[in-house]
Amino acid sequence: MSIAAPTEPSGAGQPTPVADVAGESLLRGAWRRLRRSPLAIAGAAIVLVFVVVALAAPLLAPYEPASTQWAGLVTPQSVPGPATDHLLGLDSFGSDMLTQLIYGARQSLIVGVVSTVLGLSVGATLGLAAGGFGGKVDTIVMRLVDVLLSIPSLLLAVSVAAVIGQSQLSVMIAIGVAQVPVFARLLRGSMMLQSKSDYVLAADALGIRRRRIVMGHVLPNSMGPTIVQATLALATAIIEVAALSFLGLGDGDPAVAEWGRMLVAAQERFGNDPRLAVYPGVCIAITALGFTLFGEALREALDPRQRR
Amino acid sequence: MSAATDGDDADPLLKVRGLKVHFPITQGILLQRTVGHVQAVDGVDLDVRRGQTLGLVGESGSGKSTLGRGILRLGVPLTAGTVEYDGVDIAGLKGERLRKQRSSMQMVFQDPMASLNPRQSVETLITEPLLAHGKPVNSDTVGRLLELVGLPRGAALRYPHEFSGGQRQRLGIARAVALEPALVIADEPVSALDVSVQAQVLNLLEELQERLGLTYVVIAHDLAVVRHVSDVVAVMYLGGIVEEADSDDLYQSPLHPYTRALMSAVPVPDPEVEDHRERILLHGDIPSPADPPAGCRFHTRCPYRQPTRCDDERPELRVLRPGHSAACHYAEQIARGDIEPADAAQMVGTS
Amino acid sequence: MTRPVGVRSEPLLEVEDLAVVFHGSRGDVEAVSEVSFSVRPGEHVALVGESGSGKSVTALAVMGLLPLRSTTVRGSIRYDGDELLDLDARSRRDLRGAEMAMIFQDPMTSLNPVVPIGVQIGEVLQRHKGLRKTEAREVSGDLLGRVGISDGKRRLKEYPHQLSGGMRQRVLIAIALACEPRLLIADEPTTALDVTIQAQILELLRELVSGTGTALVMITHDLGVVAGLCDEVHVMYSGRVVESAPRRSLFGEPRHPYTGGLLGSIPRLDSARGEPLTPIPGSPNDALPWTHSCAFAPRCGNRVDKCTVQTPALRGSEHVSRPGDEQALRCFNPLDTREAS
Repeated sequence: MSIAAPTEPSGAGQPTPVADVAGESLLRGAWRRLRRSPLAIAGAAIVLVFVVVALAAPLLAPYEPASTQWAGLVTPQSVPGPATDHLLGLDSFGSDMLTQLIYGARQSLIVGVVSTVLGLSVGATLGLAAGGFGGKVDTIVMRLVDVLLSIPSLLLAVSVAAVIGQSQLSVMIAIGVAQVPVFARLLRGSMMLQSKSDYVLAADALGIRRRRIVMGHVLPNSMGPTIVQATLALATAIIEVAALSFLGLGDGDPAVAEWGRMLVAAQERFGNDPRLAVYPGVCIAITALGFTLFGEALREALDPRQRR
Repeated sequence: MSAATDGDDADPLLKVRGLKVHFPITQGILLQRTVGHVQAVDGVDLDVRRGQTLGLVGESGSGKSTLGRGILRLGVPLTAGTVEYDGVDIAGLKGERLRKQRSSMQMVFQDPMASLNPRQSVETLITEPLLAHGKPVNSDTVGRLLELVGLPRGAALRYPHEFSGGQRQRLGIARAVALEPALVIADEPVSALDVSVQAQVLNLLEELQERLGLTYVVIAHDLAVVRHVSDVVAVMYLGGIVEEADSDDLYQSPLHPYTRALMSAVPVPDPEVEDHRERILLHGDIPSPADPPAGCRFHTRCPYRQPTRCDDERPELRVLRPGHSAACHYAEQIARGDIEPADAAQMVGTS
Repeated sequence: MTRPVGVRSEPLLEVEDLAVVFHGSRGDVEAVSEVSFSVRPGEHVALVGESGSGKSVTALAVMGLLPLRSTTVRGSIRYDGDELLDLDARSRRDLRGAEMAMIFQDPMTSLNPVVPIGVQIGEVLQRHKGLRKTEAREVSGDLLGRVGISDGKRRLKEYPHQLSGGMRQRVLIAIALACEPRLLIADEPTTALDVTIQAQILELLRELVSGTGTALVMITHDLGVVAGLCDEVHVMYSGRVVESAPRRSLFGEPRHPYTGGLLGSIPRLDSARGEPLTPIPGSPNDALPWTHSCAFAPRCGNRVDKCTVQTPALRGSEHVSRPGDEQALRCFNPLDTREAS
């Protein structure tokens, strides 16, 4: 709360005091609130660690990825546990667990980001078209999206994999396509809501061009929920990559380290060596949690009711 | 013929004839069927003279806001009628021609927070319409407009949420007058503001009218506000104008039973007046404009309702005195006191 | 105005030095402080103020409806001699509905949209009067009749969305009056309604509380509503009472510059046209903290140097025109009263 300087009581034409805070836009305000939220900081820290590990994997990993040079140490009954030269032990193929986890982060980041960007760009474009034009365009686009929504994402993944073969690309497309309806409906919904607001009517009354109203007024005010959804979608994507790998629909190249596949490999040895499943499982959970926390904090920060 | 204007003033700025706005009521999900119409505005004639203020007063469902938006062609499709602005019928304008027309007719909204884009700085808010109409903008434009509405020049870099309600309404007004319109339609310009702030905005509107020679249509539910700012007042009920008169004339001798009831219902902040005045309490609720009563639309609540004509014949707006017209079959008899209110219980004196 | 119950009877509600503090993430905010007023049986008292004046918070504090965890209520609220602030949550709940009831501004959100109105009225009767379901239905139907809803029995089955705003407010009044409370608090009961409907509801309130000895606390921003209804008026600004007076004195000779300013800035239906309004400059947001100044000082036309450095106290006025008329004023430099007898 700021206190305005007293002014002489005056008629309507005289200047009235204005709050003494420097002009702050909505986004800047959101950023300020974000920095003060412990949840956002925790989420951002996790996300940051994840991204750094993924990008700097070759520097951080103690060994070459997918190197099975210690395969001889693995017996059908047990896998060597943590030791000084293998901090987290070996995995069931005889690779260094830590190295595999670090490269797995890289894999998750690539698939997560690419699929979310894919889903976001296609979904947002559809949503923008539906929300911007309305009428027939809206009806057609939204029915299309409904059809897409009615296909379970796993079935979609199986179909995509069947069509273009089992590869990293098919995983990304499958996850991305599954997110298209979510983004399309979300953006269209918030654009419809904003279109009904008074400031859009006011812009219309001022004779501002339709294109400018949609792109300059409606869209920027509708982006908030979509941005939040994108961070949450990243968390979902990382879990889905794991799920698809777990079901054997992941990247065809078994040499690529991937958390989901590590979980699969750990299955048969779960009785003797649960840590084989625990490590990748914890990695997936913490990363997803990081994105979710950050997304939720972002949602709160962007909420106009939080203003001031 | 609109009744409020006499023959001597042949050139009103705004001339509305037979304006109807009916909204279809649709049912069904895929195949939408029209099952009825909300007759928001149903046959309105209006003249607004240059430099004057027309007040439109009415309760919810009266269609006053729809009429305002219909005149501006703002998101409201006209069902029938003509809107002549400066001699040109704008009822049929579309697209770019309608957009260009907008610079001459502007609107002030009820909720200044909702009508300002929260992401735009004041500077952008004010310059955007100017740029959209290709009007010149220089370094002084924004500051000059801010000063015009009583805001400091420094406000240009701030955002809407940093202002108080009254200041935001000033911004809304600055934006409306930036395009130098001749006509400004203000829809409930003060009802969202704190009581102590309302007078500031009303005074500002009056001041701007004098300085810029504006013509106003002020829409409000508050009869006291409308009477204060208007030269001519039109009272609306269920989509039609029931009475139109000079502001003082209307207050001193209302001719339509609805106007009488409305006036008696407005509380006056003065115990002396409140204790001694007679109230006309209307029975029941305002009927839905989707299913308005036949005949006179007010007959279901009218204390002076007569057995003939009221139920089945819709009264026309008739000139009863120079510059004073009302849509009531029995206005003369009621004014003379020949007709008493049917139900004495509706007349309540305060204890 | 005559009331059936003597003006001299003991107060039913006595609020003394009430303070309400909200504990927020950005520190404590004192929403209300030093608020004192009393209401006798049958008396109609108004708390008048704009947004942020603390009038609604005061009402919620009296009702015991403020969230316990995030608020601190200090001072004293005595109801019929009992100190309410000493009671536990359960006892206060027993009082609410039975002894004291409240009507809210928005009749749509104050009713549960998925429950028929008959059930919502019956609930109160069952809870506080121990009526059985069938009895409650009987009484509910009669109550609807009393608040002017014809064919009450049949309409008990209706849902809130089937009713108009005015009807909903009538239902809320029926719920509030179900247990014949001795204290009724009405928080902006007509603000959301049309003028002709407002007149109906005010008339209904007037009818229902007069003759029963029900004490009414009216919370509103509309001085017009107060003028015809209330005996005592307390004007609040930024969390404190700035002027208290019987309505005739308050409207006739307002002493606080804020009260005077409010009256001068409202267009009156009966004033001559073209008479300019004299607005209060600034907005309620401009309030100074009461701790070392008068909150109204930045907007005040009567401001003197003292106003921005010292807190004015609420003082009883010497001008007591009639016995029993309590007047109080919080101002260093009040408006001159007109030299009337």
